[in-house]
Amino acid sequence: MSRRVFHVVQSSLVAAIGVLVAAVGLTAGQRGLDALRWPTERPPRPLSAKPVKFPPYQIRTLANGLQVVLVSQNEQPVVSARMLVRAGAAQDPKGKEGLAMLTAALLDQGTTTRTSAQIAEEIDFMGGLLSTGAGSDLSFVNTVSMKDGLGAALDLMADVVVRPAFSAQEIERQTSQAVSSLKVSADDPDTVASQVIDRLVFGFHPYGMPSGGTAESLGTLVRQDFVEFHKAWFVSNNALMAIVGDVTADDAFAQVQRVFGDWAKGSVPAFAPMEPPPAVKRVVVIDKPGSVQTEIRAGHLAMARRNPDHLVLDQVVKILGGEGGNRLQQVLRTQKSLTYGASADLDAYKLTGAIVAETDTRTEATVEALRTVVDEFFRLQRERVYEGELEGAQDFLAGSFPLSIESPDAIATRVLNQLFYELPLEDLPAYPQRVRSVTVDEVQRVAKAWLKPSQLSVVLVGDADKFMSGLAGAGFSNIERIPIADLDLTAADLRRPRRGAGQ
Amino acid sequence: MTFFAAFVVHRVRRRALLAVCVGALAIAAVWTPLSAAVAPPKLEYQRFTLPNGLTVILHLDRSTPIAHVQTWYHVGSKNERPGRTGFAHLFEHMMFKGSKNVEPEQHTSMVSSVGGRANAYTNEDATVYWNTVPSQYLPLVLWMEADRLGSLRIDEQTFVSEREVVKEERRMRVDNQPFGNLNELLYKNAFTTHPYKNPVIGSMADLDAATIDDVRGFFNTYYIPANATVVIAGDFDVAETTDLVTRYYGRIPAGLGKVVRDIAPEPASTKARRVTLEEAWPLPAVIVAQHITYDGHPDSYPLHVLAKVLSDGNSSRIHKSLVYDKRLAVAAFGGANLIEHPNLFFTVALVSPGQSPADVEKALIAELDKAVAEGITDRELQRAKNQFARDYILGRETVQEKAGILAHAEVLHADIKTADGEFMIFQNMTRAEVQRVAATYFTPQSRLVMHVRPRAAGTRP
Repeated sequence: MSRRVFHVVQSSLVAAIGVLVAAVGLTAGQRGLDALRWPTERPPRPLSAKPVKFPPYQIRTLANGLQVVLVSQNEQPVVSARMLVRAGAAQDPKGKEGLAMLTAALLDQGTTTRTSAQIAEEIDFMGGLLSTGAGSDLSFVNTVSMKDGLGAALDLMADVVVRPAFSAQEIERQTSQAVSSLKVSADDPDTVASQVIDRLVFGFHPYGMPSGGTAESLGTLVRQDFVEFHKAWFVSNNALMAIVGDVTADDAFAQVQRVFGDWAKGSVPAFAPMEPPPAVKRVVVIDKPGSVQTEIRAGHLAMARRNPDHLVLDQVVKILGGEGGNRLQQVLRTQKSLTYGASADLDAYKLTGAIVAETDTRTEATVEALRTVVDEFFRLQRERVYEGELEGAQDFLAGSFPLSIESPDAIATRVLNQLFYELPLEDLPAYPQRVRSVTVDEVQRVAKAWLKPSQLSVVLVGDADKFMSGLAGAGFSNIERIPIADLDLTAADLRRPRRGAGQ
Repeated sequence: MTFFAAFVVHRVRRRALLAVCVGALAIAAVWTPLSAAVAPPKLEYQRFTLPNGLTVILHLDRSTPIAHVQTWYHVGSKNERPGRTGFAHLFEHMMFKGSKNVEPEQHTSMVSSVGGRANAYTNEDATVYWNTVPSQYLPLVLWMEADRLGSLRIDEQTFVSEREVVKEERRMRVDNQPFGNLNELLYKNAFTTHPYKNPVIGSMADLDAATIDDVRGFFNTYYIPANATVVIAGDFDVAETTDLVTRYYGRIPAGLGKVVRDIAPEPASTKARRVTLEEAWPLPAVIVAQHITYDGHPDSYPLHVLAKVLSDGNSSRIHKSLVYDKRLAVAAFGGANLIEHPNLFFTVALVSPGQSPADVEKALIAELDKAVAEGITDRELQRAKNQFARDYILGRETVQEKAGILAHAEVLHADIKTADGEFMIFQNMTRAEVQRVAATYFTPQSRLVMHVRPRAAGTRP
């Protein structure tokens, strides 16, 4: 995920400020002379630091249990509102993958008081934005409006959250669109690689299933499914929201009271999914002939967001492949020029999580790049990290705190995350100190306990003929090779059953 | 916003392609029309020039203790010589490969180690380097930026290995994803002469052909103070920062002086053109493009309005017609690519399985023709104005965004006052003006129609 965000030049181990560099560039000609005349000097010292405080916010709760985070800031005349409902693709019933996603897509496609066209016209005309969607653990509706449009935006939000129509016509339209879209994503190596690694890491646990569904699962969905999903989960005591921007907390809360005050409570269904399977080393090659690059993923099961070791494991994974660290980028890009970007993420969700490394490389270099990724997992598990390397990761995490609270949306996001994962709010202002409290010993303990390099699952999406033969020599065996057109994420062997064939 | 997206909503499907659609029924909105759009606060700035020609712009924003430094070099892919496509971007990578006092890759790692972020991008017209840091580290960033402009290291081995990274970037962005080369195909077919015909990332052959002498020549020609604009935005002291800029950048010589900009103009298109291609794409695509004017031309503002009416939001004409009502397309959109030199207004549709590309072409052209014949409605005009106000305001939330707006006005419009001045141009727009401009540019003789058919899986060109 993060690779696509910061890879343009992201790189290199931390070099402490004050490193003196003596070498002179090899420029010639006029600018070369400039370089010779250019002074040799150390970087300037920082100015005195300004105090950084977590900005003020309020949390209030309606009588019906809806929690509301309020952040007031009048830099720009705009207000954004976000609604989170605590149910997402993880709550898709078995065989009905894609239900949460499609339910979210249908929310703004007509309510009991507005048609789909009216909703679009209303939000577009006021110069606002309305979006809906679903993640693994949650569904969301967001709006953005100018300050004078907040009331109208919230009217619209309440309508789509509380009173969606799920009309037969819109269900048919959205389903057919979603099926067509699957045709595109099934051909995108990046998407396919990410879906398959989730499936390998999480098995048949809901996090392993395709959140966008399959043509088959989408085909089974009927109106009753959407109505029931909505009725079960979209209740006031299973939601939280934030209003941030150019509005006072009192005014914002009064508006929430006005539009959501009569939203009914409900008894939230019990939810106890199966445990994810233990980490199993599985190597899957998805064959896409003609590919010029191979998409590479390597990962294994890790921990839920609430695990007390999350803070430390996060730093371990940052050293492996995150901002402020990133050995993978250092080796794969800077040293070997094998890729444009490499990264590793700790994806820690509500129920469990994973560590996944990702990169892409030219077809010919597939085996070398994969071996390098796996070796870095081993090295991190085996050897103590350098003091300076850990400091680098911590310097970034702690130092970037002021950058992470620049916009009111970013502030609200941090508060929502704490509430959503039921983490202490006191951790928010203390974040920089908490980050710096982690020691090399703790990193080593957590790396040893949680990194499982010998159980890494691997996915390669690319032109298999060109690299299959090299995999065995690099220590990879029991390779499952699947043509991309035959991939079925819901099958145990990941293969679409053949119809009418002899096997 | 990004933090949230990456952290919690990690599996939101990609809305761009999996376009989710909107209402078929006649519009009968109950919303009371806004009389006027909310205006954004004025973007204040100070501007000065150093004796060596460097332009400096300061914007104070004390809301968070951070500082942003954004440097624009007025050179992009359109300045590349024939046979050297992709060079401006390749050179951008070299700017991270060390200077006299900064080791290769150390720029990024130093910024990161103080909790900041640094990166760069290249487009057709400019190359932009940016850094955001806690404000006490502003001196460090200015010092490093001046160091690489004053004393870049140009080393052959580094160049050769970085070129491989750029080739991977091309494979990743263009060659290995569905529709990744759509843009490239469009521009290759729409332009005959002007370098906008070439992709910013360049061709593999041209990347391979580039030499270390090209790097030196490019640096000497384009990376001179007179071709650079530095914008500093955020929480800092003006006098202190002016001193720092003068100290670090002032010692850079003026260099060769004025940059020559002899770029061959694109001759006017005199007849309609059609192209049919085959690509390894999962669905067919239809593109209809019209040659238009440049960013900042008086006609550019009505063209922006047309783009909004045709393709901003689910109530816009193209989405409503092709995706929602007729269900011809999985996704359909359009836009006015208004940049420094005359460019294109484009409409794109990914054809739904079972639908005919010919019908999709007709539907796209019908929308362009309708804008010419009937213009737009009062309500559409007001909606576009409100959407502009929103874009203005949402585009000015961070110090990075504010710096980008000031730099764009200074470098590409050569008039920093346009950073705020365009707001009223949009708000004063009339229907007649929009229709006149549609009739001027949406003509058959300036039109390119491109069909791309999927090539059977596994076969090669």
